[in-house]
Amino acid sequence: MPFVSEPIHIELLERRIDRLRGELRRAATTGDRTMARALRAELRQAEHAWDDALADLEDQARPAPQPVHKPMLSIREQVHHALTLLTVPAAPKLIIAVHDAFFPGELVAARLTSLRRDEERSFRVQPFGRPYYLCPALTADLLSPARGLLALSTWPLEIRVVGPLSARVDFLIGAIKVAQRVAQLPEDAHDAQRLLWRFAASIPGAGSAGITPSSVAELAQAELDVHLEADTADRTAAASRAQERLDGSEALFGARLQRLRRTASTT
Amino acid sequence: MDPLVDRLDRIRGTVAPRNHNARTIAALTSNPGCGRRGLMDAAGVNKGAVAGQLGFPAGFGQSRFAIARGNAFEAQVKADGAAELLQLLRDRLGLAIPEVAYDDLSNVGGNASREVRYARTKALLARAASERDDAGTLFDHPMLRLEIAGYYAYLEPDLIAFRAGGKFHVVEIKSFAVIDGQADPGKTAAAATQSAVYVMAMRELLAELGHPPESVSHDVVLVCPENFANRPTATLVDVRKQLTVLRRQLSRLTRLESILDALPAGLSFDLAYDSDQQATRPADELRKAVSTIDARYSPDCLGTCEMAFFCRDESAGSTSALGRSVRDDLGGVESIGTVLGLARGTLTPGAGQEEIAGLLRFAHKLRTECLDGIG
Amino acid sequence: MSILTALARAEAVESGRAQPLTTVRHTHVAERPLVLVPLSLAGEAAAPLAAIVGTDPGEPRLLVVANPRDRTQRFDFVAELARVVLSYVDGCARSVDTGAGGTKLRYAEAPQVIVPNRGGVEFVRLLGRSTRFRRPFGPYPVHRTVPILGQWLTFLRERADHPGSSMLLAMTSVLSEHWATGQSGLEDANLAALLGWIDPPGDLDGAGAAALAEDPLRSPPAGPSTDPTFDNEILAPALAAVARSIDDFARERALAALTAAVADQMRPTWDLTWQAVRLLRTRPAGASVETRWAMDRDVFTMYHMALAEGTALPQPRRDSAVAAAGRLDRLEREQARYDAQRALDDPLVMAEFRLSGEAFTGTVVAASPNRVDTSGKKAALRPHITVQTDDPVRLEPGAHLVSPARLAQQATVVSVSSVDVVLELSKGMGRSTKQPAPGSVPEVGDRVTYGPVTDAYQPPGRFPSRDDTPWTHGGPPPVIEYHASDNDAVEDWS
Ligand code: SF4
Repeated sequence: MPFVSEPIHIELLERRIDRLRGELRRAATTGDRTMARALRAELRQAEHAWDDALADLEDQARPAPQPVHKPMLSIREQVHHALTLLTVPAAPKLIIAVHDAFFPGELVAARLTSLRRDEERSFRVQPFGRPYYLCPALTADLLSPARGLLALSTWPLEIRVVGPLSARVDFLIGAIKVAQRVAQLPEDAHDAQRLLWRFAASIPGAGSAGITPSSVAELAQAELDVHLEADTADRTAAASRAQERLDGSEALFGARLQRLRRTASTT
Repeated sequence: MDPLVDRLDRIRGTVAPRNHNARTIAALTSNPGCGRRGLMDAAGVNKGAVAGQLGFPAGFGQSRFAIARGNAFEAQVKADGAAELLQLLRDRLGLAIPEVAYDDLSNVGGNASREVRYARTKALLARAASERDDAGTLFDHPMLRLEIAGYYAYLEPDLIAFRAGGKFHVVEIKSFAVIDGQADPGKTAAAATQSAVYVMAMRELLAELGHPPESVSHDVVLVCPENFANRPTATLVDVRKQLTVLRRQLSRLTRLESILDALPAGLSFDLAYDSDQQATRPADELRKAVSTIDARYSPDCLGTCEMAFFCRDESAGSTSALGRSVRDDLGGVESIGTVLGLARGTLTPGAGQEEIAGLLRFAHKLRTECLDGIG
Repeated sequence: MSILTALARAEAVESGRAQPLTTVRHTHVAERPLVLVPLSLAGEAAAPLAAIVGTDPGEPRLLVVANPRDRTQRFDFVAELARVVLSYVDGCARSVDTGAGGTKLRYAEAPQVIVPNRGGVEFVRLLGRSTRFRRPFGPYPVHRTVPILGQWLTFLRERADHPGSSMLLAMTSVLSEHWATGQSGLEDANLAALLGWIDPPGDLDGAGAAALAEDPLRSPPAGPSTDPTFDNEILAPALAAVARSIDDFARERALAALTAAVADQMRPTWDLTWQAVRLLRTRPAGASVETRWAMDRDVFTMYHMALAEGTALPQPRRDSAVAAAGRLDRLEREQARYDAQRALDDPLVMAEFRLSGEAFTGTVVAASPNRVDTSGKKAALRPHITVQTDDPVRLEPGAHLVSPARLAQQATVVSVSSVDVVLELSKGMGRSTKQPAPGSVPEVGDRVTYGPVTDAYQPPGRFPSRDDTPWTHGGPPPVIEYHASDNDAVEDWS
């Protein structure tokens, strides 16, 4: 807009943004999705233009933006660290918590989502081309990917398959590993301690104040002893079934239902 | 085909019936006396779209912050094999330590069709109900269904069915806070009604397997954040009353014949969508169709029914538009004109109106006496 | 609700304007009230998003939380709010009421906090609850003023339960007590709609103004809940922009945009609330308004001094069963007194009692002003009057009544027939035991009204002592009295 000075330009934009906002909310209220989508796009555009216009105004005073720190490790390495510490399949949330409590740098949650797909793709292109893959845990009954649980391809199948008791068993094992790790850390490792208390709160007897990492581990072990045998039996049985039925990428990334139906009907 | 279903299909028109969920089913109980709503819901009519086409769009919407908060809290309670939930159930309901089995029923190996998931839910719950040792304890995301006026409504509750002591319990996770032992009564009541829908659907499923209704407890476990922290707390809520209301209302939906018989044969709420998904049904024609069915508007509709703005407009000039209690105070007299006529003595009371007419005249006299000479 | 109110609503529908339910104003309106319009983030128990607060309609103070889910920022907001509220509260304690008799000290002012609606009152409760146990030291330290604000908010919220107290007012409730609209009570909870009926803008009628007020785009909800489309389309991107901003400049801009967006949502409500304040001020105050406000000031004075001296009673999370029952009993008696006071101040409120037969208006048809009762030890002047009335009187002989025209005089019902009531009068007739002071006894032909006594002595309900509380009512009471402890302060807060 060459003939309009910046401030006027901004004002015009503001008026336009106001109007668009009104129309957008009207459309959202009446449930007119198509219209809402179009208006939303238009609004974002206007807002960007407003941002830019304002930035131009401010430019003189503005120092160069700080360079963003790049993480030293790739995300798959970060996840690998966390899982290796836990020794059992875990959900992304827990992986992030463990990573952030014990390892330097920050694990960016948003980047976890595409991770599994990338791993599978990489495997298909060049099977076993990497020393390890991050793969989903497999459900014991259907041998299909378990929702939201990540495992390491280098683990034996008995660890990568999960039965009904496994969630609890793995939680307790995770608690023990975290407790052991915390015990080695200095007293002021607050993040790690907070993570441990989160575990402890859900372990019978461990939620009370003044408890030590080693007693958390003991109490977790005590409950673990109750479930371990049944869980191991489940998992071993499932693992041997998986050994028979799954091959190649399926053994890592899980059976697809189609194929499963077929195998089920032939046995 | 079932003639009732067939008739309802014609009333709805060319679109698929609206999907029910626990919230919409729970809403069925909010104004049970309204024939209009009963019929529209039974036929699966999209009331919001109809109201919009009539020029009275409903202002229902949910804030994304509320949705995000709900999802986050639920994920937290269910994380790591529902570790937090287990601890709660152990503390509050004395769940035994060995009872930790957790089955995620949304997991069916990639195929997520509702029928497949329902079948799997049924299989697992059947095994659990048969009391085997490895019968399982927590069942996440069961797929349930309820028959609503001839159609199966599939319910995909974010709930956990939990089995202990030979009974299933429904665990409902809600993100409104319980502060010092008290929660928002409106939200608690809504949660109870929704849980009742699930209890009912689970009972139906187990009944198909030959189990008695008591195998699903009428005490549901309501899990909410406590005070201002994210730590969950559990409360047992008895939903027997909600179950009764729900059962009555659902059975009523299938007994629509009396309403239907009184309606013109060609009645339809079809919005006549064109190829651009724009509704083309003329508003006054639609208005005529909707108006053939009696409604029972009350201001409570504003919070529960998408048709509310339309019905409110329609009932302008009636005492019920001012609220049930106002209407009751006015002796149930229907029209505001009549009320004022009786109060001013310009109308002669009809049969049965003598007493209220006397009161109204007295009230009118008092008001005039007191307000005379004041602005 | 009653038939009078219901009829007023019907009249409002017909006339297109709200109809008065009172002839005077029964609520105190302070010279300098503090108006508070809060907004909170949907889905959270007590996450303030923003507030407008201030004592001057032209000078709203806007407070915004850039990230409502962040504990530190929430408490920064609370500390800001505390500055405003506490300086207002302390300002009320600056001068002493010299007119108050006796040795009792009473501040000349008391805080009056006005929120738009019941939701605002609930916001005050939750914010008070979530802040009064915080501590300026320990695990999650907060600014020194935060717990003090919590105590004051809790105090104000508690006062709001007392009928006739004007320290914390929900404007919609105050307006609904004084006007009947042509819509339902449910719809009256919308301040803009309610005010639209009472004081419609331009040449609109009530219904038209209310219809406009229901459109969240023209008339944003009065909070604390925001409109969902505002949340989804405006607020969410604005909050995201703040969170995303890569440097101070971007952050400042994003904050400015966020602030403007929430200000847009609150400003109309702020203006409406002050419009309502002005409107209320135009109505003459009822005769007992000042008495009730003096009571508020007494309670305020006591709490303010107790806080200063560190002797204020703790505000437990929950009342014990006995305390709760005692409190309810007290509130019930206060309600009865409030109703009676208003009736004596206001014939239209008295009309409610006349409708129910607890009061009546009529003409004196016979009087024996010099009647002396000699049945007791001492002879006493006990005039009788007979009042003819059309009102449907439902009173029993022996009932005590009072007339708005003769508040010092007590009337006792002697007999009731279908056309008249005979009353025996005592007190308020001067010193003589033979002759009533001139004018102190109604004369034949006078028009009189008699209604319920305001301060009839009702013995307080009796409740079991702490030790005898049945377990069904809160279990055996704790042996130790409740004390706010540092344990409360470490309560998780996220
Ligand atoms: S809004 Fe209308 S259709 Fe809906 S329940 Fe009320 S009266 Fe019935």
